[in-house]
Amino acid sequence: MNRKVLWVGGLVVVPLVVFLALSFGHDPRLIESPLVGDPAPAFDLHSLDGEAVSLPALAGRPVVLNFWATWCQPCIVEHPVLVESARRYEGRVHFVGVIYQDDGELIRRFVEQRGSWGPSLVDPGSEVAIRYGVYGAPETFFIDRQGVVRRKVTGPMGPSMLDAYLAELL
Amino acid sequence: MTRSAILHALATLLVAAAVAAQEPDGGFRVEVDQADLARLGAPEGRQLAGDELAERTQAVAALMRCPSCQGLSVADSHTVASAAMRAKIERLLALGYSDEQVLAYFEASFGEFIRLAPRPVGFNLVVWIAPVAALAIGFGLVVWRVRSSARTRRASADLERYRERVRAEVER
Repeated sequence: MNRKVLWVGGLVVVPLVVFLALSFGHDPRLIESPLVGDPAPAFDLHSLDGEAVSLPALAGRPVVLNFWATWCQPCIVEHPVLVESARRYEGRVHFVGVIYQDDGELIRRFVEQRGSWGPSLVDPGSEVAIRYGVYGAPETFFIDRQGVVRRKVTGPMGPSMLDAYLAELL
Repeated sequence: MTRSAILHALATLLVAAAVAAQEPDGGFRVEVDQADLARLGAPEGRQLAGDELAERTQAVAALMRCPSCQGLSVADSHTVASAAMRAKIERLLALGYSDEQVLAYFEASFGEFIRLAPRPVGFNLVVWIAPVAALAIGFGLVVWRVRSSARTRRASADLERYRERVRAEVER
């Protein structure tokens, strides 16, 4: 009888342990964006300075599209990386920010104090964030010269990661 | 041009006209532009309004995961992201898109994770089948255990009667 119990218990427990071991291995929120490999959703927004910025107008150069906010600590960590990268890739890559659920005035003050890496676009009603399937900030989309999404990064990027992903697009 | 293509074009024009006529909702400027129309296709439901629209919006929002919360639906969440999504859901339902079309629209951007209940296909079936299977196995184990303990009790009773007989024989 003990052997039977062992078998039945094993049949129940082993698949459960395997399933849980596989599932706990990754964060379900770090999902690959379904947009990767597809044309990036178009947008036509205005920066805090009133400058009109649309995705079609950026075609011809890779675009780093970063959703960020001042309330987001990882965005603050990432900010100097983007400032430095935007300087190094000037004229070769468009760096564009989309304000994610934040106040324009706070963004303006933050950028004045810490430097800018590109236009910060106002996204009324989070329309663009919804179209890009943004779960939180920061999230960055790498869009190639043809306007196709090549990568999505969730969380703050370091300089080496940014360089590696841009090398794929340049 | 085929008949279905003409019908699709007509439906798209009607939706575009309805979009142009709509006012902003709940403080959100909700747009359904040409890119959305191309992604959504022709509406497969009927245009909703009033209480029915509010109820359906709530029902569809309850099927979707709030992107910036832990385990909350878009219907239950008070975050800005969820409010924006509810406004978009409402707009799409008002235009006549079906529940499934609305869910598919968000899934195309956010991935399947946006659905609180994964679709019962492929590996997802595990989620649907496993609880039922676990319940069936558990029930089977309980039945088996009860039966085997009943057998053990019957065997013990037989043994006790045998002992009584032996005791009686010896004492005689």
